Amino acid sequence: MIRTTAVPRPLRVTAAAASVAGLALLAGCAGTSEAGDAAAGADQASPAATPAAGGNTGAAGAGGAYADGSYTAEGSYQTPEGPETITVTLTIASDAVTDVEVVGEPTRRESKQYQAEFIGGIDELVVGKSLDDIEVDRVAGSSLTSGGFNAAVEEIRADAAA
Amino acid sequence: MTAAAVPAQRWDFEAIGTSWRIDSATPLGEEDRAAVSAVIDAFDREWSRFRADSVVCGLASGGSVPAPADAGDLLGVYAALDDATAGAVNPLVGDALARRGYDADYSLRDRGPQAAPVDWRTVLDAAGGRLTLRRPALIDIGAAGKGRLVDLVLAVLRPRVTGWLVVDASGDLAVRGIRQRIALEHPFDATRAIGIWSIADAALCASAVNRRAWGDGLHHVLDARTGQPVRSYAATWAVAADAMTADAVATALFFDGGPRFAADRDASWVRMRTDGTVEWSPDCEAELFS
Repeated sequence: MIRTTAVPRPLRVTAAAASVAGLALLAGCAGTSEAGDAAAGADQASPAATPAAGGNTGAAGAGGAYADGSYTAEGSYQTPEGPETITVTLTIASDAVTDVEVVGEPTRRESKQYQAEFIGGIDELVVGKSLDDIEVDRVAGSSLTSGGFNAAVEEIRADAAA
Repeated sequence: MTAAAVPAQRWDFEAIGTSWRIDSATPLGEEDRAAVSAVIDAFDREWSRFRADSVVCGLASGGSVPAPADAGDLLGVYAALDDATAGAVNPLVGDALARRGYDADYSLRDRGPQAAPVDWRTVLDAAGGRLTLRRPALIDIGAAGKGRLVDLVLAVLRPRVTGWLVVDASGDLAVRGIRQRIALEHPFDATRAIGIWSIADAALCASAVNRRAWGDGLHHVLDARTGQPVRSYAATWAVAADAMTADAVATALFFDGGPRFAADRDASWVRMRTDGTVEWSPDCEAELFS
């Protein structure tokens, strides 16, 4: 069994509204055996990415309140060796997703591999926080530009403006 | 224990076109610094396509030279990246980058897209202790080279330094013996972070398209199959045991095959699409703000 649990994160309702709507669609599948196919039954080897992708498709009205609790959906997907099932559990509190758990019960080695490889996270629009407001030791982004590169960019801009 | 709790000895310097920062539990002496500089300079002289006297520039018209120490490992990583990304990552992408303006002179003059040689494995190899290029091409090890250099610097300092050590080459960093909270820089707003990743005894490498960007949507991450800059993802972060692996994973994550490549190497990751949505690996322990 593979159990992957996303680390609980402080998801803000405002930023996550679209995703909550999308997840609500998935939650609507809960309790209906195999109905999760629509959400998790993609023909891909990345089943957990499917409910995640739902984040962009939500059409529910804004501001809808969802009952706190855990919602579980089971889905199946095809592998070259046959069908596999996967169970996705979402925990919703105050209209925000606070936890995602994906449990796969791969019956084949290849499926075990696939389920370990899928994208575990929900698509979320990230707002970000000011670097001044968070306590960190360092920052990791793209490579800082070198002096030479910066100078060249400035020159190009000057040329373009001329 | 965090760096704040320990009086860090900090050394800042510029090398290979970027800023470096080394923090250590005990101060680095002159000999330690000289050893670091020697490793970086040797690597640069072998692999930099930005200096005319480098091995790769000397080899650009084709030929065979004694293989640099890292040649086998780097080409091995490129072979795996090539497989994982269906050819999007290619060590002979140097000419394609130069044509888009990312050349030794930083001309930033776009002369149009050009695909890298699809058959690079038959053109380039590091067999028999020789690095051989069978027809003219410009080697670019940008997908994993900086990570490799971070590993080399760490390896030089480990026996010289007592206690914890952090080697940070701006976006590619390795941590030993200490926990570090690392902000993940927002690719569209460098004053913000999309999250924090706390790591200890691991390497974290980042890649993003916001810097080293010029012209009309041009930046330094090209799809080698087309010579066009990647459009789907804006930034990637990967954590792995060593920096070369983390660097390679961060590169692979700009393409569809990235997650599998990461899983094969026990690397965890976060990536942001150009539409601002974020994906992360199942085992990712980063704290993301959303």
